[in-house]
Amino acid sequence: MPAGLTDGVEQATMTDAAADEVEPTRGAIMVVRSLTKRFGGLVANRNVDFDIPQRSIVSLIGPNGAGKTTFFNQLTGMLQPTEGEIEFNGVSIVGLGPHQIVELGVGRTFQNIRLFSDMTAMANVMVGRHSRMKSQWYEAILHLPRVREEEEATRQRARELLDLVGLARRYEDESAKNLPYGDQRRLEIARALASDPKLLLLDEPTAGMNPGETGRMTEFIGQLRRDLGISILLIEHDMKVVMGVSDRITVLDYGEKIAEGLPEEIRTNPQVIEAYLGKQAHA
Amino acid sequence: MNDTMLGRFYRRAAGLGLLGTLGAVYVALIGIVERFEPRNIVTGYLTLGLLTAALVVFVTAYRATEPPHSWGIGPPPRQHVLGAGVLAAVIGAAGVALFLVLNRALPLDAVLVNANDRMSEILGLGLEFPAGALALLGAGLAFGVAAGGLRLLAPRFRGPLIAAVVAVMLVSLMEPFMRVVLLQLGQNAISGFFYQSGGLTVPGAIIVAGAVLAIGLANSLRGEAVRERVAEMPADQRRGIQIALFVVGIVFLLVLPQLIGSFLSEVVGTVGLYILMGLGLNIVVGYAGLLDLGYVAFFAIGAYATAILTSPVSVLGWGLSFWVAIPIVMLIAALSGLIIGAPVLRLRGDYLAIVTLGIGEIVRILLLSDALRPWTGGAQGILQVPPPEFADIDFFQPQNLYYPILAFVVLGAFVAISLANSRVGRAWNAMREDEDVAAATGINITNYKLLAFSLGAVFGCIAGAFLAVKLGSIFPHNLNLLVSITVLSLIILGGMGSIPGVIVGAFVLVGLPELLREFAEYRLLIYGAVLIVMMLWRPEGLIPSAQRKRELREHEDDEDQWAHQTGVPTAMPAVERPGP
Repeated sequence: MPAGLTDGVEQATMTDAAADEVEPTRGAIMVVRSLTKRFGGLVANRNVDFDIPQRSIVSLIGPNGAGKTTFFNQLTGMLQPTEGEIEFNGVSIVGLGPHQIVELGVGRTFQNIRLFSDMTAMANVMVGRHSRMKSQWYEAILHLPRVREEEEATRQRARELLDLVGLARRYEDESAKNLPYGDQRRLEIARALASDPKLLLLDEPTAGMNPGETGRMTEFIGQLRRDLGISILLIEHDMKVVMGVSDRITVLDYGEKIAEGLPEEIRTNPQVIEAYLGKQAHA
Repeated sequence: MNDTMLGRFYRRAAGLGLLGTLGAVYVALIGIVERFEPRNIVTGYLTLGLLTAALVVFVTAYRATEPPHSWGIGPPPRQHVLGAGVLAAVIGAAGVALFLVLNRALPLDAVLVNANDRMSEILGLGLEFPAGALALLGAGLAFGVAAGGLRLLAPRFRGPLIAAVVAVMLVSLMEPFMRVVLLQLGQNAISGFFYQSGGLTVPGAIIVAGAVLAIGLANSLRGEAVRERVAEMPADQRRGIQIALFVVGIVFLLVLPQLIGSFLSEVVGTVGLYILMGLGLNIVVGYAGLLDLGYVAFFAIGAYATAILTSPVSVLGWGLSFWVAIPIVMLIAALSGLIIGAPVLRLRGDYLAIVTLGIGEIVRILLLSDALRPWTGGAQGILQVPPPEFADIDFFQPQNLYYPILAFVVLGAFVAISLANSRVGRAWNAMREDEDVAAATGINITNYKLLAFSLGAVFGCIAGAFLAVKLGSIFPHNLNLLVSITVLSLIILGGMGSIPGVIVGAFVLVGLPELLREFAEYRLLIYGAVLIVMMLWRPEGLIPSAQRKRELREHEDDEDQWAHQTGVPTAMPAVERPGP
């Protein structure tokens, strides 16, 4: 549908302007310009422009295979873009490795939960804290006092985070794989938060949850922004979650941005309805 | 339970019986039964040769008594457990008897060189032909009842019983070692009471079995209570016990070479080298999860670097002291770890294993090559590697060389434990579980892989340095693929990521074969068998690390459940675990 795609770009530009009026920009924490990712002949993302304002919750939606996770992976350095620019806090992160981007302050979770399943819940969060710890291997061998202090402080911080995400204390020393599904999702968020991110990327945090759990997770995402003052980028299929929690929504279809704007604008956007909601309604 | 299920249960038992026959006949045909015959286990009653064949039949029969996966609710009734054991063992024994008949009727030894009369005699329990074959059937019946009975025992009795039997075998196999120790202590009377003609005496075997059984029962019946009491003790008292145990351990390690004499010190020294290598490879494979099959490369680099630096006849001719050379060797080791690690950074799993395997071979071939002959001496190697110098101690004596090796092993274990419990160990652990996620969690994969390779290389090179001074010379043929395989095997046997596991693994896989010269010929076969058995029965190793134990927990629950279902109370009630 080439004609539809061109319309989409115009539509997006228009809603961009609209959004700026509604929500005065507080400076963007992440700026993406004409990002393109090709896998051989397949174009997974084409010329995507995308901003995440400070302290906002932005959602990325689109039908399956629209290139959302590919987009995510480029923001976190797990994939390198073919063309385009990504800036985080005014610094270009194209070409940086995943661990460097974590150090700058971007944390993420995964669509299909990827915990260190045989490590304890506590150890998972402590690994998440890795990039904020300083002790070196030779210091660990020498058992310097500051190594123990740091270890203790990390454990303390991990405990706070487990409390924050609402994981019961009794699960602390349990293997991650033995946790109930919903708690695994929470643990993954705690691990991502352990690196003190300024921007948190959540890849379908409510996938596979029942309505009750989904409701609590939605509430929790809002609470995260309030309490920690971080920005959140969300990939989500559940329209209720997206509409309920997002400041702005961007829609991808066939790798291109077809719309962007406030939740109510997206809800009524005919193109989005055709590309995404319409399909879902038929399904 | 219905007839189909029972039928399947017995059919499987029959199949396992046939497997027992095949196993026992195989062991006989490759010559193990005859070759191991001279070694007594219980002098006058049981020899190692017969035992190996008998064990195969017994183990398959014991396996047959286990309810199959398709079994429904509840364990099979007792009579059927016994029935399956008897069926499997009798079929196994009957198969062996049939083989004896065949061997008598046909000239099997024309093709199968080990199928001779002596083998037949041993397998026939030393009796004349028809009587021996019949006696086998009787033995099969007894084995079957024993296997079924063992299965029906509650785990708290079964464990100690198996331990007692294994202990008798081990104590008997340790005869050359124990003899020397007792001799050094001047306890000829005790030695004569326990040992005779290379095996345990009957009263000796009874005492060993009884002692182990008593300890095992005490542990499984009262162990929990004792452990609780220790846990409740005041901290300083508990600390006191720990310190006392620690001191006893240290004193034991220090006097050990004086107790066991020159030959056994030599053996323990070799075990020490393998412990060092095990600790190093454990960092690479056990902690960081990088399967390195070419670890011998570092062993070789350490040995040759030491030889070149310290031997007066090497190309450098510096003739440095060992103590001066060691820091240089460690530096070379770390660099070689980086050099070998860098090109394989992007490889994972199988691919990494294949490439490192190749690197190990490349190093060995380089050592033999003409290009490096001026440095390495080709096949002639490097001679006149001097022992370390310290005061007036003669480190040519294995009893004395033991001490520096011990020092490095202790240091190595300390380093490994310190790293495992730190931020670094956690990062390796995460990397082993999921490399991509570890990176996305903020771990610099490149650095941590290189760190693991380099530290592993340092351990391997120190072991190599000691190999050079131990032999006083170094040749390429000391440094083959078998070294890599042995080190990897001992880690797997002991338990990946577990330091006590490395130590136990090294004693079992390197120490025991040195004591049991009969084994030398079958070394690789036994390694293979040990690895397969471990993978099937205890994939987490003999002494698993806490990490691996977590991976195992479900398995233990099954065991409890089975005991629960047989209606026999277990020592510990099965605890409902919170879970999904």
